[in-house]
Amino acid sequence: MRRINSLYLRIGILKIVVGKPTKQPHTSLASLSFSTSGGYGGGGETQQNNNSSRVKIFDRDLKRRDRAAWLSRNKNDTFVDAVAENLLDRLEDCKKSFPSALCLGGSLGAVQRLLRGRGGIEKLIMMDTSHDMIKSCRDAQHDSVDKSIDTSYLVGDEEFLPIKESSVDLIISSLGLHWTNDLPGSMIQCKLALKPDGLFLAAILGGETLKFVRDAGNLLTRAGFSLPGVDVDEYVVKYKSALDLIEHLRAMGETNGLLQRNKASFLSFCRIFFSILNRETALATAAIYDSMFATEDGTIPATFQVIYMTGWREHSSQPQAKRRGSATVSFTDIQKQFGGQS
Amino acid sequence: MVRLSRVMLKEAGHAIDKTLSEILVCPLSKQPLRVCEKTKSLVSDTIGVSFPIKDGIPCLVPKDGKILGEDGDDASKAS
Repeated sequence: MRRINSLYLRIGILKIVVGKPTKQPHTSLASLSFSTSGGYGGGGETQQNNNSSRVKIFDRDLKRRDRAAWLSRNKNDTFVDAVAENLLDRLEDCKKSFPSALCLGGSLGAVQRLLRGRGGIEKLIMMDTSHDMIKSCRDAQHDSVDKSIDTSYLVGDEEFLPIKESSVDLIISSLGLHWTNDLPGSMIQCKLALKPDGLFLAAILGGETLKFVRDAGNLLTRAGFSLPGVDVDEYVVKYKSALDLIEHLRAMGETNGLLQRNKASFLSFCRIFFSILNRETALATAAIYDSMFATEDGTIPATFQVIYMTGWREHSSQPQAKRRGSATVSFTDIQKQFGGQS
Repeated sequence: MVRLSRVMLKEAGHAIDKTLSEILVCPLSKQPLRVCEKTKSLVSDTIGVSFPIKDGIPCLVPKDGKILGEDGDDASKAS
């Protein structure tokens, strides 16, 4: 209870009303087991920790199995589709076409479904850490219209990208990278996998502080991308109750990682909520949350901040900043030339 | 047609499609992989690990890798 009091939750002004998420039966809450002892090894599987200096915040194995199951039950998620659509739209802004594209896990199903020929993609490689997820994407493909794209499927991890250097024109990741334990490392590997003048497009869930925008920009630069671009969008989704909200987050696959960040953000609340409390306490807490944050009509609005990142693999055709001190014209000269006002 | 070509490749004994064979590397060493038709796996000779192909889908997460014994067989006694 102390935790909940200390978390400060901001409610956004209602801008968009998204349709009700599918109601899950209550038994599904009890069926997922969360252990706080032996913390990161959920499901009895132990993973060799290759890099002991890196804190393992997310249990990626737990995420693999559970996310696939939840996502396959919730195919019509307007929020997820809106984010994928926003990403894919950016392809139309580029005059370039991208013959080969790698689509990374997260909501890769939505990206594949909504692609609709944008970006001039001829070969699409779909990658996710969950075998079930990839299988369901492959099975879904047979129903979709676009059979002109040559699609391949593999199971792989963004943190250990099994893609040869300089081999793809485009990498898209919609709502997946914020789950990696080593985001800078994953981004560097993405950059390396891109051909020169290749494009990296990602959407990640942000916290509720603007600091994330600066952090995202720094991440892109540190990974070595050229012409980095970051912008932020907020989506307000209205729920009937806190439980509906939490089930929606589940369906997006967003709640099952164990989160230890200290940020006061709405998503942190939900993750801690489900990782530590048992079912009865969870329901009781949801009731409290309902009473604290419901609007006048009794609904619970939640604000999701999505950070969109773009970056290019360097290429000589791109504009380059000149070396410092190499200027041949001073500002004074420019001012004289153009009759500057002071 | 994608489906048709996948069926044909399977009959021809190819474990993975052409696109993947050109771009996949070992997730740990980033070195090329060797397709082993017999065991339906992708072998990373540099580090002696093989990755399975389940249901036609290569599984290249480090966890799924099996360490190979000295004579190239699976050292499947690893925990």
